[in-house]
Formats: sequence, structure tokens, C-alpha cells
Amino acid sequence: MRIIVPIRQILDPRGFTVSRRHERIFVNREEYIINPNDKNALEVALRIKDTGGAEVIAVAVGKPRVDDALREAMALGADAAYLLTDEALAQTDAAGAAKALAKAIEKIGDFDLIITGQETLDTGDAQLGPWLAEYFGIAQVTNVREATVSDGALRAKRDWGTGYAEVEAAPPVLLTVAPGANKPRYPHGGRIMAAYREWEVTTWGAEALGLDAADLEPLTEGRGRTFPPERTLGERLTGSPQDVAADLVQQLRLQHVIK
Amino acid sequence: MDLDYLQMLMGEEEVVVEEEGEGYRNIWVVAERVGDELAPVTLEMLNQAQQLASTLGAYVMAVLVGGDETLAQELIYHGADKVFLFDDPALKDYALEPYIKALGDLFAEKMPEIVLCGATDVGGELAPRLARRLDAVALTNCTGLTLDASQRTLVCTMPVYDGEYSEVVAFSPEVHPQIVTVQPGVFGLPYRDEYRSAEVETVAVDLDGAQPRVKVLNVVAEAEREPVPLPKARIIVSAGRGMGDAEGFALVEQLAAALSGEVAGSRGAVDEGWIDEEKQVGMGGATVRPDLYIACGISGAIQHYFGIQDAKFVVAINRDENAPIFKVADVGIVADAKEVIPAIIEALEA
Repeated sequence: MRIIVPIRQILDPRGFTVSRRHERIFVNREEYIINPNDKNALEVALRIKDTGGAEVIAVAVGKPRVDDALREAMALGADAAYLLTDEALAQTDAAGAAKALAKAIEKIGDFDLIITGQETLDTGDAQLGPWLAEYFGIAQVTNVREATVSDGALRAKRDWGTGYAEVEAAPPVLLTVAPGANKPRYPHGGRIMAAYREWEVTTWGAEALGLDAADLEPLTEGRGRTFPPERTLGERLTGSPQDVAADLVQQLRLQHVIK
Repeated sequence: MDLDYLQMLMGEEEVVVEEEGEGYRNIWVVAERVGDELAPVTLEMLNQAQQLASTLGAYVMAVLVGGDETLAQELIYHGADKVFLFDDPALKDYALEPYIKALGDLFAEKMPEIVLCGATDVGGELAPRLARRLDAVALTNCTGLTLDASQRTLVCTMPVYDGEYSEVVAFSPEVHPQIVTVQPGVFGLPYRDEYRSAEVETVAVDLDGAQPRVKVLNVVAEAEREPVPLPKARIIVSAGRGMGDAEGFALVEQLAAALSGEVAGSRGAVDEGWIDEEKQVGMGGATVRPDLYIACGISGAIQHYFGIQDAKFVVAINRDENAPIFKVADVGIVADAKEVIPAIIEALEA
């Protein structure tokens, strides 16, 4: 069984503070981590590997620094890693990155499962998984909490409405894992050393993937940022319990805090 | 308000959509059903779509997969200028493959300029597949939609880092259709106008080769749902020593259930033995960042505040008007929580 796990490297939120008052982000330490939701996806893949055996391959698009994320993935248990990087790939947007990942997965070939995070923390993008499933024309299960493989069939528990659903599908299947679905493991010390000293991250550029500049042209453009309003001193509600309760419920609905 | 609209209100004339035209046109809303009703986000999208449509000079088209005439009429009452209804009984229950075939075929023919889907379990998995199928791109989980009128492009607000701030992203002008998923509860509900009338066109889809590939074995509903870990919970109702006794604490549990939220407690509640230590919020316990945090009978010592400073909306109920919790609350209620909570539960059910 071959499982491909596309991961993304993001700026570590513990390294910056957001000032609502100045509407700015102050970066104190520029450090990068694996998108936490992708780490949940890697954990799902590694648990399948632990129970029934599997070859887990991590793939990522971006700048050369993304190498670190892939080595961390190997330290956690991935068997191989591919970094898709060059000048064009480092600057593309979600659609371009998806195309690059699709081409790389095609080139790696013979996969049974693709497992990735449901969303990325740094862009809010939640389209990669289903986008890839459509590219390959395969089944998909989104917002997965747990997944197992037995007798060649995939079984998964996924978020559904206010509860969850248990589903079954025959590979190839794409899974997106729900944020916080599991507690990712810590890397083994020996594997960290090996990931940096012994193992290789294979690097492919756009040309190796058969993509040209037009394929990687961004389809979206950034128009800046907005910040939530600063917290103000709260309001006091007074009156009989019934009046206060009615006021409160109305306010919560107006503010879209509850439905 | 012009005469046409007045006539429309009077029910004398229906909205007639001009179907002729070139290129990518109109705003399409992919309707979603929950049980026998329309999902609230569908109505919210119709509201927003109407506003965008008036700027663009476009119509609001709704597509309903697997619904019936009654729901199609509801879409019209809430702002759709025309409804495309797939009434094939095989489409009654959601399954990805047939739904994506129905929508993909329709959109390939009709060439929408903009497509809105709910950022829900269903919309969230349909939209990116549609984007790939139609050679476009999706912007997901949007909380704001405006238009760059000069380029006829959508400008979307996408919260990042759990809502710490938002990225504002626009589609490039050459992208068609512009596909967006819209977060539920962000846009208001439109006015329901029973006198509004428009066409419902029944459409069919060839489902050959679009059989569901994922088999649903079992669906577990809300009542049996597993508790959400506190750091991930969207709504938390938390008890402090001020609840007085186990009976008071039971009220907090009832309020949490009424809001489909989680129960938590301060150090005091844990010490009293009302709640397990793992449900403690604040220093020594969990750090939470829910959309709504209701502190009942919690004085709000700094240790507690550390655990809730990232909560988006804080409600405090406490008898002591000088309790520090009121300094960090968005809404404060100076009263006995035991009297107010039952009234809140009642108001929620009303």
C-alpha cells in the first residue's frame, strides 16, 4: 500500500503577534512548521502504516526552506519525501500548487491513498484535497477523524452534520483529515538524525513536472488583510431574568455567535 | 423601489430571466438541504447574491439537487430569480459522484460567472471538485464577499490562523466561473416574500458512470456525538464556585446542551468536585478559543482569564458586580446565574 501525503509548510503562529489596534502582524521569530492539519493527516497515514504496513511518501511545494518540513515528516515516519521547488513553484498560488502536486503524484505513481489536511492555517484554503480527487477522478472522503485499511478496503469515520458517519470505499481514495482529528506523534530522536544526515529529499522543478509558466500563473491575487475589531469594554444587561435572557439571546444571534 | 418591483410584490408579474447572451453570466447559488428544509446558509447566500447581482446587472440562479417543487418555491421567495431543479429520486440523498455530475454538466452548459456554495460538509467538498472540473479555482470558507466592479471580480475575505486576522483575496479576471464557499451565519437571512414568483425549470442528468464510490455504513447523530475537546470547542459554558451546589452546576450543563456546546469549569468548580480536572479552563487547565464562552458564577481571577483571552465572545453572569470577569466580558449580567440560566434556555427555545 502506497500512501501519499501532501504537506504544507507555514509560518509558526507562536512566532508572531497580531495587533488589532495597529492592524499589523509583528513577526518576532520567523520560524516555520508543518501545517498542523497536515500533521494530523500524516498521523492518519502513519497509523495505517503501523497496523498493516504501508509506504508513506510526503510531498510539498514551495521555497527551498520547505525541505525542513519534509525532513520532519521523515523523522516522524515517512519513507520518502519530494520537494517541488524552483522560482516559479515558490511563487504560485493554491491552484498552481495543486497542479504541481498532482503532476508529482502522477510521477510517483501507483498510489492507493492520498491523505492531506482539510485546510491550511495560513491561507484558509480548503480545496486541495477534493481538487486532487477530481484530477485523478477518484473517490474522496473529507473531514476524516480516523481511518483504517483491512482486506484492501478503506474504512473511515468522518464528521457529518452535528455527528459523524462511518464510510467504506475501495482504493484509490483521497482523504482529507479534520483539524485536530488526532494527536500527532513526536519524532524519534534517531530518525531526526537520520532524516538530516542519511536520507534524501528528492527535488523536482516545474520542468521535471511538465509544467510551464502559464500553468503556474496565479489565478488569484492578494488584496491585503483585515483585522477583527479591538475588544471593547462590555455592555451590561439589566432587568428581570426574562428580559436579560431575551436581550442576550438576541445579541448572540445578531452577532452570529449562535444560530 | 421601481414599478416593476412593486408589481412583482403584488404578484402581478414574475421575474423573467433573459436566457440569451454570450459568455459567463449570472450568479449561481448551489442550494443545500438539511432533512426536508433548506440549509440556512443557502438562504444567506441568496441574500448576498441579490446584492452582488444588482451591482453586476446579473440574475440570481439557484440550483437544487434532489429537492422538490416546495423547496424550489422557497428559494424563489428568498431571492432566486430562477431555479433549476434536479428532481430525479436517485438524487434524494447526497452522494458526491451523482451530485458533482449534475452540477458539473449544468454549469458547463450555462457558464456561470459566479458560483456560491456553503462552506459546509457538502459544499466544502463539492466546490473544489467543481473548480477543477470547470478549470477554475475556488476560494474557500469566505466571511466577506465584495465586488471589484471594474474587473467584475469577487473580492473574498478568508479568515486565517483561526480567525486571528483575514486575508483579502480577489480572483484574477480571466477565471470563470469564480467559485466560492461561504461560511454559514455570516450574511443575514433575506426577507421571505411569498408573493415573489419566478420560473422553476426541471432538469435531468444522465447518471451513467456517476455511481457513488463511498458507501455510508452508519450515521451517528447529534445526541450520540462525542464530546469535542475543549481547545477545539466552538461554544463553551463554564461554571464557577458561584453556582453554589451540584444543582446549580446541573443548570450549566443544561445550558451547554441547549447551545450544543461543551461544559467546562474554573478551578473552583473542580475543587467542589462538580467537574473533572480535564475540563478545567485557565492556568493549570485548558486554554480555549471558542466563538462563545459563557462564564457562570466565575469571578474571573487572572489565572482563569489566561485560559479564555482568545475567546471571541465572552458572556459573564455573576452576582458580584465588581467581579473581575466583567472587565473582559463582551456582555455582563449582574444577577444570580441560577435565575438567569433557566430564562436563557427558555429564550433559546422560543
